[in-house]
Amino acid sequence: MKQEQMKKLIIIPAYNEAKNIKKVINNINDFASDFDYVIINDCSTDNTKEICNKENFHVINLPTNLGIGGGMQTGYIYAHENNYDIAVQLDGDGQHNAKYLNTMLDFLINENLDMVIGSRYIEGRGFQSTYMRRFGGSILSLIIKFVSGTKIKDPTSGLRMVTRPIIKCFSKYYPQDYPEPESIVNIVRMGYKVKEIPVEMLEREEGVSSINIFKSIYYMIKVSLAILIDALKPKKEDKSLWI
Amino acid sequence: MDIKLQIFIIISCILYLVFIINMIRKEKLDLRYALVWILVDIAIIILCVFPKIIDFIAGLIGIATPVNMVFFFGIVFQIIIVFSLTREQSQNAKKIKELAQRIALLENEKNSGR
Repeated sequence: MKQEQMKKLIIIPAYNEAKNIKKVINNINDFASDFDYVIINDCSTDNTKEICNKENFHVINLPTNLGIGGGMQTGYIYAHENNYDIAVQLDGDGQHNAKYLNTMLDFLINENLDMVIGSRYIEGRGFQSTYMRRFGGSILSLIIKFVSGTKIKDPTSGLRMVTRPIIKCFSKYYPQDYPEPESIVNIVRMGYKVKEIPVEMLEREEGVSSINIFKSIYYMIKVSLAILIDALKPKKEDKSLWI
Repeated sequence: MDIKLQIFIIISCILYLVFIINMIRKEKLDLRYALVWILVDIAIIILCVFPKIIDFIAGLIGIATPVNMVFFFGIVFQIIIVFSLTREQSQNAKKIKELAQRIALLENEKNSGR
């Protein structure tokens, strides 16, 4: 299929992003206007909903707070039900730049991949996150390499583009708490091809990231265990079951 | 501690661990809620392999009979887990209520043909 004929959707998970969401949508209109987009407003307590309505943004408002996993899954269900060929997650806090979306799409098609992840750490430019987070990320990389045999340098990256079969997988099952690293393992173990592409990310401008030391330790234990337990799940080699 | 008792407890704990992990693997149990059980289970295994730890901690916080400390911590952990479940349950009840209200409002909107 030609790139122009593909139905492409940007899924923007947003929780209390009233200050950022306008910039994110403007960025998409500037660099990726051939993509459709949908904002998943995860029951924000600020006026994200009002801003989206006022600006006439395409938004799905969740009636209760589901967290990032449930929110993203809503986006994938929407993508699946509306027959999108490509879906890409772009965080609502403005740290991802939409100018990479077309590069990612070219890479996905040329390399015949099922998932492309925008990685901060391949070229090491742009916002690099703290040492602790990078350290945590590299441990997760090791675990993912161990259970799936695939090297992913930035497993926590939220900038990820997937094809139709994976949209369907995700609409059926998507990890709930800290979904990014775990979903990579699920996908690779089903026999799909995943690769990374270097991108620059920005530090979030407004609002606070919800990470402290206890949460980080909890995050590491939980995600590592989740990945290891996923490795015990039966391999779903037969792709036809999922398409 | 008697070696027979030690072996019995360790084997039970390992079976229990396998049971929990198998439930998670089949997606019947969410890791978020199972994590605390897995950690407690591993802690019991460690204490069983090295029972000296129990004596050491009991001495540290001034509990005369180490076995009392085991009971004490057992009860404390149960209170924490039960409380966290109560909290979770309250939040779930609230979410279900909000969902029901939202659905009712949507249905009303749909029927009134807006």
